[in-house]
Amino acid sequence: MILLNFGPLKLLRLAAPCLAAVFFATGAVADTPKKVLRFAFRTAETGFDPQKIDDRYSVGVCENIFESLLSYDYLARPVKLVPMVAESIPQPEENGTRYTFRIKPGIFFADDPAFKGQKRELVAKDMEYAIKRFRDYRNRSPYAWLFENKIVGLDELAEKWKKAGKVDYDTKIPGLEVRDKYTISFKLKDPDYNFLYVLAMPNVVPVAREAIEFYDADTMGHPVGTGPYLLKEWVRRSKIVLEKNPNYRGFELETRYADPGDEWDRAAMDSLHGKRLPQIDRVEIYPIEDEQPRFLAFLNKEHDILDEMPFAFIHQVLPNGKLATKLAKEGMHVFRELQPELTYYAFDMNMVAEGRPNPVGGYTPERVALRRAMVLAYDVNGEIEVIRKGQAIPAQSPIAPGVVGYDPNFRSLAQEYDPVKAKALLDMFGYTDRDGDGYRENPDGSPLTIRLKYDAGSAEKRQLAELYVKSLNDVGLRMEAVAVQFADLLKDKKVSNYMTATSAWIADYPDAQNFLQLLYGPNTGQSNESEFKLPEYDKLYEKSLGLPDSPERNALYREMNRLLLAYAPWRLGVHRIFNHLQWPWVKGYKKHPILYTNFKWLDIDVAAQQAAMRQ
Amino acid sequence: MVPTIVGVILLIFFLFNWVGGDPAMVLAGKISNPEQIANIRKQLGVDLPYWQQLLIFAKQVFTFDFGRSWSTNEEVSRILLTRVGPTLTIMIPVLIITTGLSVLFAIMVAYVRGSLTDRSIMVVCTVAMSISFLVYIIFFQWMFGFILGWFPVQGWSESFWKNLFTYAPLPIMLAVFVGVAPELRLYRSFFLDEINQDYVRTARAKGVPEKSVMLKHVMRNAMIPILTNVGISLPGVFVGSFLLEVFFSIPGLGREIITAVNRSDFPVIKAVTVYLAILTMLINLLVDVMYKYVDPRVSFK
Repeated sequence: MILLNFGPLKLLRLAAPCLAAVFFATGAVADTPKKVLRFAFRTAETGFDPQKIDDRYSVGVCENIFESLLSYDYLARPVKLVPMVAESIPQPEENGTRYTFRIKPGIFFADDPAFKGQKRELVAKDMEYAIKRFRDYRNRSPYAWLFENKIVGLDELAEKWKKAGKVDYDTKIPGLEVRDKYTISFKLKDPDYNFLYVLAMPNVVPVAREAIEFYDADTMGHPVGTGPYLLKEWVRRSKIVLEKNPNYRGFELETRYADPGDEWDRAAMDSLHGKRLPQIDRVEIYPIEDEQPRFLAFLNKEHDILDEMPFAFIHQVLPNGKLATKLAKEGMHVFRELQPELTYYAFDMNMVAEGRPNPVGGYTPERVALRRAMVLAYDVNGEIEVIRKGQAIPAQSPIAPGVVGYDPNFRSLAQEYDPVKAKALLDMFGYTDRDGDGYRENPDGSPLTIRLKYDAGSAEKRQLAELYVKSLNDVGLRMEAVAVQFADLLKDKKVSNYMTATSAWIADYPDAQNFLQLLYGPNTGQSNESEFKLPEYDKLYEKSLGLPDSPERNALYREMNRLLLAYAPWRLGVHRIFNHLQWPWVKGYKKHPILYTNFKWLDIDVAAQQAAMRQ
Repeated sequence: MVPTIVGVILLIFFLFNWVGGDPAMVLAGKISNPEQIANIRKQLGVDLPYWQQLLIFAKQVFTFDFGRSWSTNEEVSRILLTRVGPTLTIMIPVLIITTGLSVLFAIMVAYVRGSLTDRSIMVVCTVAMSISFLVYIIFFQWMFGFILGWFPVQGWSESFWKNLFTYAPLPIMLAVFVGVAPELRLYRSFFLDEINQDYVRTARAKGVPEKSVMLKHVMRNAMIPILTNVGISLPGVFVGSFLLEVFFSIPGLGREIITAVNRSDFPVIKAVTVYLAILTMLINLLVDVMYKYVDPRVSFK
């Protein structure tokens, strides 16, 4: 009615500022540059169904699309568990056999056609469904072992499904008790104080049953989660694009556990202070298997970060261990990380391997002496300096750095390179050269040849094999190195078709138990490739399972380590050091030892990024 | 064609089952027990008797339905359809430019055979052929992509034109550079064979201009072995160059094949091999038909 009192010209004059404001406001929104992070994976992904994958790169993407009950604090070192979709970290009940979680109400999945236009809230049933999916025989889950012999009633349910040839997710089991909409209680068969770590793994995440059933055959290509990002575009093995999930609630950087003396923590706190995360709008990931294009794409500023810089370029980037002057002037940062992983050579402990008597198998004093002599003869320093270009430290125990139970001060003489001691040990136990051909024979005079199997697809493994052969030749032992395809190597190690072979392990969760289980007797045929069966070791391992993190449990770990060094079912290798590079416009960077990606905590100075790209 | 396909099926089946790795081991993950591995083998169908597996394979060939990739669960037909585009974007220009340049240079050096130019070009070709393709890739990528910045170091987009004019030129240039030397030497020998023929001498004696002798008489007759050679290399166009695709992040078939082999992804290996065998047969047929148009002496029965 009021408008009727104005003439058209006056009306236009009054409306002009409003229109201008709308126009400029719209323009401002449209002109706000998106924060885009670009980087490469060094191996192609496989897909994004969290219960069907185990490769680090696919899991790394899932870390950002899905959310687990618990996760890790970004800055805390040693790592620290924090709640993610759970309200809090529960205390173990019933002697470490029950854990009860309450999920935060009001967390929603990303919008998806599977939900038919409805908002879908995260509930406890989604977690129950996800855990059962690990044991659904149709999913061939590579992480099924996490829930084997673990949750009351789950093994029986999985067996029933398999026998019947069909699955029924509505069947209730006592180990997965959904108490109300948001509460789930896990009942375990035996005490397990590391169970919380399992529930912090990035693929032990709740999923929506409707979405899984909707996408059925291609769940790998349609991840629907509650996390900060959603999968916007996927050109398989070529490009993965994530964009912010509009339904995501956001969070702020937790600084409670930060170390103010740590330059990375300080920089992260300064740059992310008061900001709602995630800040990055779009993440573009390019799987690039070859080292040179990955490295050059980063140097060319086509990428913003380079995680796990290829070792081949270490002298160009870090001559004498310091960032090259030219790169430092450009503002590049390097984060050096001792990863929670271990390389080792496994010995087959059986008396027969590859269909013939196995000279390195068994527990008799002369066999133990032979293995220990091989351990002493191996030039681990040469491996680090020449092959790994100084980017590793020798392993002193089977427990990797950064995990609970690792003792950085522990040193073992049994693992040191000492060819003189190796020769003396061999002489003492009758491994001498009787026919004068330059190589030692078995104590009974029979010929002695040890066969090493390694992955034919890796140039690094070939170099390591050559070093091992040379090291043993130096003490008079004959070794044959046999290159085999990766799949065959896995099979050979599984069925005891090798004498010694290359191996490696990276922590699934930050506890020594994840490494020590590799030598637990009952794990033979699964993760115990050496088929090491020592009742003393097994008893200690079983006892440690029933204890929370404590000096008492650490003492058990130390004792198990002592047995490993004494019986030598492995020749421990190294813990590798990885160098992660970033351009200066990337803010808030810190590499987490367990989580693979960190871009939900990063920010980008877009002006600096674009200026660099224009140059 | 049918016997060839049967031979291909038997060969692939034999190689995969007796030489290839066990896919169940790769898919089983870090920790697995024999029961789980048996379950995976059952799911994949590799626990069936060999004759049954062979029948399934034969059925897949005749229905063109190879199912899904064992490692990524992606439909095999989708893998082939989406990867062949980037491969052809690189390989068709490579084939055209390499053949064009090789024929042009070959006829030129054949014409001045024995001269300093001829000998110099042959020496350059021999040296160029002695260097590994990998060395060229590493050098070209570093020099033209990184140091000079003429091309992106690597990459691929959704736009055909952007790919063709931004991302493809460097790998195309590389493949042409490497491909020209051996083809030039080969085609030169074809031209020399023809130049020394009596009909050339007769044409010259009759006063036919040199241009006509070379382009009409010599070229036309030399085209038969050249066509055969191009025909032989044509199936390769459809599978691409693994090294180029890996180094330049091109989502093509070459990269896919190597990934499939490394992961023992039999459905993908089967499909690509059969597809390649069929292509090879069709291309051979096409080349045979084309002889008729190049050489009037050839006729259809």
